[in-house]
Amino acid sequence: MKRRTFMMSTAGAAAGLAFAPRMSFAAQGTIDWYTSSDTNILDFWTNTVKPAFEAANPGIKLNLVDAGDGAGVIAIGERAIAAKQTKADPQADYFESADALLPAGAIKAGVYTNIKQAGLANYSKVNPLAIESEYSLPYRGSQVLLAYDTTKLKPADAPKTWEQLVTWIKANPGQFVYNRPDKGGSGGNFVRRAIHQANGLDPKAFKVDNYTQAFGDEALGKAWKLLADIAPSLYDKGAYSSGNTQSLQLLSQGVVTMIPVWSDQVLQAIEQGVLPAETGLVQLQDLALCGGFTRSVVIENGANREASLKLADFMLSEEMQSAILTELGGFPGVSWDHVSADLRKRFADIIPQSIPTFPGGKWEAAINDGWYRNVAPNVDRKS
Amino acid sequence: MSEVTEGAVRPLIDGAARRRPIGLLLVAIPVLLMIWLVIWPAMNAIGRTIWRTDANGQLSFDLSSYVFFFSDRYSLDNLAVTLWTTFVCAILLLVICLPIALYLRFSHGRLSAYVQALAIFPMFVPSIILAFAFIRVLGPNGMVDILLNAVDLPKIRTPYLTPWGPVIGLVWDNIPLTVLILLAGLGSVANQSIEAARDVGANALQVFWHIILPRISNSVLVALSFSVLGIFSSFTLPYLLGPASPEMLGPFMQRTLREVQNPVGAMTQAVVAFGFCIVFGLFYVRSVARNQGK
Repeated sequence: MKRRTFMMSTAGAAAGLAFAPRMSFAAQGTIDWYTSSDTNILDFWTNTVKPAFEAANPGIKLNLVDAGDGAGVIAIGERAIAAKQTKADPQADYFESADALLPAGAIKAGVYTNIKQAGLANYSKVNPLAIESEYSLPYRGSQVLLAYDTTKLKPADAPKTWEQLVTWIKANPGQFVYNRPDKGGSGGNFVRRAIHQANGLDPKAFKVDNYTQAFGDEALGKAWKLLADIAPSLYDKGAYSSGNTQSLQLLSQGVVTMIPVWSDQVLQAIEQGVLPAETGLVQLQDLALCGGFTRSVVIENGANREASLKLADFMLSEEMQSAILTELGGFPGVSWDHVSADLRKRFADIIPQSIPTFPGGKWEAAINDGWYRNVAPNVDRKS
Repeated sequence: MSEVTEGAVRPLIDGAARRRPIGLLLVAIPVLLMIWLVIWPAMNAIGRTIWRTDANGQLSFDLSSYVFFFSDRYSLDNLAVTLWTTFVCAILLLVICLPIALYLRFSHGRLSAYVQALAIFPMFVPSIILAFAFIRVLGPNGMVDILLNAVDLPKIRTPYLTPWGPVIGLVWDNIPLTVLILLAGLGSVANQSIEAARDVGANALQVFWHIILPRISNSVLVALSFSVLGIFSSFTLPYLLGPASPEMLGPFMQRTLREVQNPVGAMTQAVVAFGFCIVFGLFYVRSVARNQGK
């Protein structure tokens, strides 16, 4: 190298360093990925997705970060908005689980990528029931089912409708338990199924923005009556476990015969031997219990936007969607037609006809408060 | 070597003038941390629940969240069950720990070493593990039920998911601290005074009542106020073992903040809890101050 060019380039580099803003940059080619999900999801990504994706895409690496909870991901979303305004690097590329509407204004600020228009090859496979926004990608789901002990209840007698379920609960006092609606989705969606029951089995009646005090009091009030009615026939005359796992524990100890469960949790529990192989699963046929999809978001102003879109597309591939079923016990985010035939056959009993959902927002707070005030205490445990 | 010799020349006790700034500096860090992490947030919470923005965006003096708390049956039930749990736990702790501490103070040998190790053991068990172990043992169809069933006895009425669940868990969890504090207090009871009392014909009960109890009353107060403070604001055990309703203030606060999305309500509950804890704390401060004054 000529001395002059060397001098110029060093001077240039020094000047560049002096002018560069004092901050760290995200490494090029390393996708900064954040999740708010549980450890089983992080394990799934670490052990299954990361090796497969990195092998398929040499030069791209995944940096998997646990953001703790929903609030943690929202905080990083807020950081991305701030970074966009100052044209800085948000140091975030991919949210495994996020709500495209949070933090408020993220879409308007141009921080979230419009997935529908991003040209993903596999986007057309996504289950249309699951799409909530063009800015988020439902890639896995799970639904609440009823799990029961087949040694005490024959599969042929398992309740298939809400009416049959209530009849069964009352005929078998102490054999059913669901957890507090805010402490885990299995009990939470059982409570939401009661709300659907009390309001004409119409999930569309509840929207994220149609909560008013009057409508809420009326619609939820009817559901509290239904739930208070079955309360004396529940486990311990109206006790409610404090989480999904605790319900599973009561079922596995043979204390109760039936509980509502998350599909992924119960499949994993049976797989790992926490629940015996004799555990039966059933879905209500008049209207299924609610489920939910986990939606991913790609950061528009992230340093690795293109690589992140590759990752999003990769998650919709048959390989990954099958892994979600077999390794994670989740439901696919793509339509069941795009899942391999033998898996479709294996999970035929629990493939839902529809996946009703229930909005969050103010409804959630109203349900959480109302249930504790109206259903939980109304029982005289001493009798 | 010269440094060492120089160091040795330093007077054993420094002059008060030289010592003072170092002492104050050492205290400054915990004091600042306490102001930053405890006192400031507490003040902030009190302020934000009293001065609230009304519908017009005006800051004004507003006690409505407190009026709601103290007129709401549900909140009052939760407060009542918290006080009940705290009270019952305190009594049970005293009844269980005082005999253990007395035994450990006045007996020697290998057996008492084992008893001491056993009494301290709960300190090393995280409460979440304790809770799940509790469910396995005392829960429905748990180990106790299995053992009872083996000898043809009926099942127990399980305390799981009833107000007694957290009581049993919290008492077990607080035994080590209470035993240690009582034991430290019993250290100040001189053997001579007990022997003297025995010489004049006092029986065991009289020795306990007239000689031991007056000397350790301070330790009893300290032990009780310590465990009561912890129990009043406990979260994990009531959350996992207690009933859905009424719930203790710890889970209630967390739920109000996150699940009901009502920060002002949660802060109000926190301030109410804080008020009760101050009363318990004052007992502790008073007894420490009385000790220092001696």
